[in-house]
Amino acid sequence: MLSIKHLSASVDGKAILKGVDLEVRAGEVHAVMGPNGSGKSTLAHILAGRDGYTVTDGEVHYMGRDLLEMEIEERARQGLFLAMQYPMELPGVNNMIFMREAMNTRRKSQGKEAMDAVSFMKLVREKAKLVKLDERLLKRSVNAGFSGGEKKRNEILQMALLEPLLAILDETDSGLDIDALRSVADGVNRLRSPQRAMIVVTHYQRLLDYLEPDHVHVLAEGRIVRSGGMELARELEAKGYGWLLDEVAA
Amino acid sequence: MNQLIRHYQQTAMRYIDSRHGSDGDWLTGRRQAAVRHFAELGFPHSRTEAWRYTGIEGLMRQGFELTDRFDAFPRHAVMRRFLREPTAARLVFVDGLYQADLSDTGLVGVRVGSLREAMAVGDRQVLEAVGSLSGLGDHGFEALNLAALQDGAVIRVSAGVTVQQPIELLHLAGKGATGRAMCPRHLVMLEADASANLVERYLAMDGETAYFNNLVCEITLAERASLVHQRIQQESAQAYHLCDIHLGLQGEADYQGVNAAVGGAWSRTRVHCRFAEPGANCELDGLYLAGEGQLTDFHLDLDHAVPYCDSRENFKGILHGGGKAVFDGLIQVREQAQGSNAHLSNANLMLSRRAEVDAKPQLLIHADDVQCSHGASIGQLDDQAIFYLRSRGFDEGQARRLLCQGFANEIVERFQSASLREQLSEVIGQRLEE
Repeated sequence: MLSIKHLSASVDGKAILKGVDLEVRAGEVHAVMGPNGSGKSTLAHILAGRDGYTVTDGEVHYMGRDLLEMEIEERARQGLFLAMQYPMELPGVNNMIFMREAMNTRRKSQGKEAMDAVSFMKLVREKAKLVKLDERLLKRSVNAGFSGGEKKRNEILQMALLEPLLAILDETDSGLDIDALRSVADGVNRLRSPQRAMIVVTHYQRLLDYLEPDHVHVLAEGRIVRSGGMELARELEAKGYGWLLDEVAA
Repeated sequence: MNQLIRHYQQTAMRYIDSRHGSDGDWLTGRRQAAVRHFAELGFPHSRTEAWRYTGIEGLMRQGFELTDRFDAFPRHAVMRRFLREPTAARLVFVDGLYQADLSDTGLVGVRVGSLREAMAVGDRQVLEAVGSLSGLGDHGFEALNLAALQDGAVIRVSAGVTVQQPIELLHLAGKGATGRAMCPRHLVMLEADASANLVERYLAMDGETAYFNNLVCEITLAERASLVHQRIQQESAQAYHLCDIHLGLQGEADYQGVNAAVGGAWSRTRVHCRFAEPGANCELDGLYLAGEGQLTDFHLDLDHAVPYCDSRENFKGILHGGGKAVFDGLIQVREQAQGSNAHLSNANLMLSRRAEVDAKPQLLIHADDVQCSHGASIGQLDDQAIFYLRSRGFDEGQARRLLCQGFANEIVERFQSASLREQLSEVIGQRLEE
C-alpha cells in the first residue's frame, strides 16, 4: 500500500530525514517511535503533503502512485488520513457541516452518492459515541475552544467517518489523560481492518499497549535504526532511547 | 466643485418648485432651509477627517439627476424578492418610490405607510418628525436628502404593542433608476414599551445600473421600546449608496442592528446613536465585503451623553481583489455619562495584496467610572487552516470559502431571519468564486 524508499528531506536547508525506508501493507499497524527531534512528525507531514519540507532524495509510492506528486486533497480523497498532533481550530466553521462535506467529498471520489443531512446526522452521532465525543461539540465550530482530549477525539471521529485506507496518527496520545487515551485507542482499534493500514507516530509506549502494532520502528537522526515487534517498544519504555542510539553509533 | 454645488442647488430648487402645492408650507420651508444649508456645507472632501479615505470623485463625475421617475416591474419579479418568512407588513419601493399595490400595510396598533402619502395630505405629525434627529444634515448629501426628499417609510408602533413578525422594507432599483439620485427617508418611531423587528433591504433588479441612493433613516425608541433592525445593502455593481442612520434612544430602550454591505460600487453607512436617557442599550453588528472596484465604508458614532447606557459594536470585513474598505468607529463618553459600557471591535480579512482597509476605532472618554474597550485587527487566511481542510479532501477554493464563511458567520448568525442568513452565505460563497 505504502512504499517509502530512501526518503530524505530537509527544512530550511537542514537535513531532517536521511534515507527512510518503510513498507506498509494493507491490514498492518506500524508504530514509528523515536526521541524528540528524530523526524517522526516530519515523516507524517511529508506523507500528508504539508508545505515547508523539501524532499531531497528517495521516493514514496501509495497505492501504486507517486505520492509526492499528488496534491494534498488528492491524497485525502484517495484514502490517506492524517490525525494531527495539533488539530487546527476553525472558528465559525460548523463541525457537523465540515465533517459532512468532507465525507461527501470522499464519497464522490469513490463514485458514491452524497449522504443526505438526516442520514449523516444519525451516522455521526453513532460514531461520536464510539469515541466518546460529547454530541454538543458537533454543533460548535471545528475544534474551537475544545480541550486537548476533545480535539483528539474529534480527529478520530473524522477518521471513523472518512474510512481511510491509510491512517497516520501523529502523536495522537500526546497531552491525553489515561481515560482519553483509552477511548481514543478504542476508537482506533475499532477501525482496524484487513483493508486498512495505520502508521502510529508516538514518543511513548502507552498508546501501543492498547493498539498492539504489528511492527515497531525506531526513527533516530533521520533514519530507521531498528525495527521489531512489541518487544522493542517495551525495551525502549524500560531503557529509554539512549542505549539504542549508542549501539547504533558504535 | 462650486459649479457642481450650484448645479445640485438649482436641481433641488427646481425639484421643490415641481412639488409645489403637494408638500404643505411647513415642509417647503424646511426644504428651502436645507438647500441653503447644503450651499453652506458644500460636498464633503478629503480634508474632512470623516471623509478622508472615502473619495466622492466618482460620484461627482456621474452628476445624478433628481426626478420622480420609476419603471414598474412585473409583479412576480418583485414577489420573488420578498422575505420568505411571514411578515407583519411590507413596504415596497421601486426606484426610490413607494408602490402601494405591492405593499401590505394592514396592521393593528401600527401605523405603516409612505412619507409621500403623508406629504400629500400634509400630515403634520409625520412631517414634523422629519429632521428631528438629523437636523438639516451633518454633510452636504444629507442636506440634499432633506431638500429633495421624495419618499420613504413611516412606521409608528403604538405604546405597548409588540409586532413579532418582521416589517419588511424592500427597495428595488432597476433600469428606471439609471442616472438618478434617489432621496428616500425612513421615519421609525416606537412608542413606550413597543417592540418590532424591521428588515430593510436594497436590491438591484439589474446588476449594472448606475444610480445614487442617498438615504436617511431616523429611528426614535421611546422608554423601554425595543427594535431589531436587520439591514442588507446589495445594490447594483455600479451603484452609489449613502446612508445616514440616526438613532435616538430614550430610557432603557434597546436597539439591535445588524448590517451587511455586500453590493454597490461605492457605499457608505453611518450609524449615529444618541443616548438621550439612562439605561438604554445599543448593539451594532456588521459585515462588509469589498472586491474589485468596490469601496465600502462604515462610520459608527456612539454618543454616550447620559449615564448608564451600554453599547457594543462588532464589525467584520472581507476584502478581495482590489477591494477597499473604511471602518471608523467612534465612541464618545461625555463627562456626565458615568457607568457607561462601550465595546467596539473590528476585524478585517484580506484575501489579496491589492486590497486596502483603513480602520480607525476611537474612544473619547471624559468620564471616569466607565468600562470601554476597542480593537481592530487585520489578518489573512491561515495557511495551516487551509492545509488542515485540504488534508480532509477539500480543494483550495473550497477551503478558502469555508474559512471566509466561518469568519463571517459570527455576524451572519446575528440575523434572526433564516432566509437572510442563507442569502448572505450564498453571496459570500459566490463572491469568493470570482
